Amino acid sequence: MSTHIEVRDLAKSYPSASGPTHALTGIDLEVQRNEILTLLGPSGCGKSTLLSIMGGMLRPDRGTVLIGGVPSDGPDPRKIAMVFQDPGLFPWRTALENVEFGLELQGSPPGRRRGIALGLLEPLGLKGFEAKYPRELSGGMKQRVAIARALALDSEILLMDEPFGALDEQTRLLMGEWLLGVVRQTRKTIVFVTHSLQEAILLSQRIVVMTSRPGRIKAVYEVPLPYPRDPTAPEATALRAALWGQIREESLRAMESGL
Amino acid sequence: MRVLAWRAGLLALLLLGWEVGARQLNPLLYVPPSAVLPALGRILGLEAWPEFPEHLALTVREILLAYLLAVSTGLGLGFLLGLRARLGAVYEPILAALYAVPSVVWYPSLMLFFGLGPSSKVAFGFLLGFFPVVLAVLAGIRQVDRHLLTVAASMGARPRELFVKVVLPAMSATLISGLRAGLALTVVGVIVGEVLGAKAGLGYLINYAYGLLRTPEYVALVVITLALVMAIDGLAAAVEARSRRWSA
Repeated sequence: MSTHIEVRDLAKSYPSASGPTHALTGIDLEVQRNEILTLLGPSGCGKSTLLSIMGGMLRPDRGTVLIGGVPSDGPDPRKIAMVFQDPGLFPWRTALENVEFGLELQGSPPGRRRGIALGLLEPLGLKGFEAKYPRELSGGMKQRVAIARALALDSEILLMDEPFGALDEQTRLLMGEWLLGVVRQTRKTIVFVTHSLQEAILLSQRIVVMTSRPGRIKAVYEVPLPYPRDPTAPEATALRAALWGQIREESLRAMESGL
Repeated sequence: MRVLAWRAGLLALLLLGWEVGARQLNPLLYVPPSAVLPALGRILGLEAWPEFPEHLALTVREILLAYLLAVSTGLGLGFLLGLRARLGAVYEPILAALYAVPSVVWYPSLMLFFGLGPSSKVAFGFLLGFFPVVLAVLAGIRQVDRHLLTVAASMGARPRELFVKVVLPAMSATLISGLRAGLALTVVGVIVGEVLGAKAGLGYLINYAYGLLRTPEYVALVVITLALVMAIDGLAAAVEARSRRWSA
């Protein structure tokens, strides 16, 4: 195991009418190579902010992010791909053209990027939908296209910000299973933001619980279960109870402070 | 097909009603279709005005030049104001206010500045066509989904690529509607300009025929103008339809 992403003493605040809002303070975190790690916390705990900083989309006020030992300086799609809760497909591009977008930016020749995109869409159950526009796809399909678009970059790190948050429970669970299959084949380091305990337990090797604003790391749990996971296993139940205890406290605190 | 048949039927009915009505009333004022058709023949056969093709060509040239100016200035100013937030905040209300003024009030000044020749028509066509274009650019830029910019930036898009691959396609529907509206208004501007005072052009002929009470020719010229406008707008509509394949 080697450290892939290293976050050191990170802090970030946003200006607001009543002075700066502290989104994150004193975050230290190491993500191992080929690990699936989830960031779990109540809404407004800064988990998305942390993910954006890891992805180079936001600059921290203080602290550093090292990717493979190198300080991060802006988005670097060759190292990091991102998936958001809103799939953000380009409506004027077909599913296939959406998947090709990142490769197009990298100047990959049309034949090559088409081949890569087709190769990604097929195992995602999107065969026959390559020429469809996003408005013709269901929510789950859109998110799969968005994930294919991120995978097309072939980066070692995948940062996912509540990617299945807008989907119904059943689709969400199926998408989780499917993601695990993809990850096992491609060997990626994944940081996954969620507020679903179930999702965190089924998907990740480690779960990082964050406090409500300002976001700090409250606790880190290892998930001692083999894949594919049984959500009714005693360890899973015990873990869920422990996580719920932590989250409940934070959510109550967040509600009381009017978030 | 059915719709077309109904339209044709309705048109025939209207023409018939017009014919009957005009004969009952004063045929000189309410020119019946049976008088318009020969007049149309006289104009297109170059009997009424041998120099008719030059008039028509002049009007088309004025429209093209005015539209070219309206589009280039409209796009240039629109993107300048739309992509520079502070400039936009200062100047956009002024543009909107100017657009609200009935444009025809500017025409006398344009005549004074540019004279009775083609320049004042081009200027007026430009003035009318410019506003829909610049306002469409500003509205289009505002409509661009910020999230798409975030997504593209996360995949390594630089500012120029964000503009070409995200901003332009995202605003294309609004932009093209604006370009189409601008074209229609440019045509109006040029022809109204010619009617109000000119030495040549389609509008000049209309005014001339009307002034001499050559009403069949006058109505025939209106029909020709209508055909010209419909041809131009049909072309614009086809371009617009092509660009909208991806939206519902």
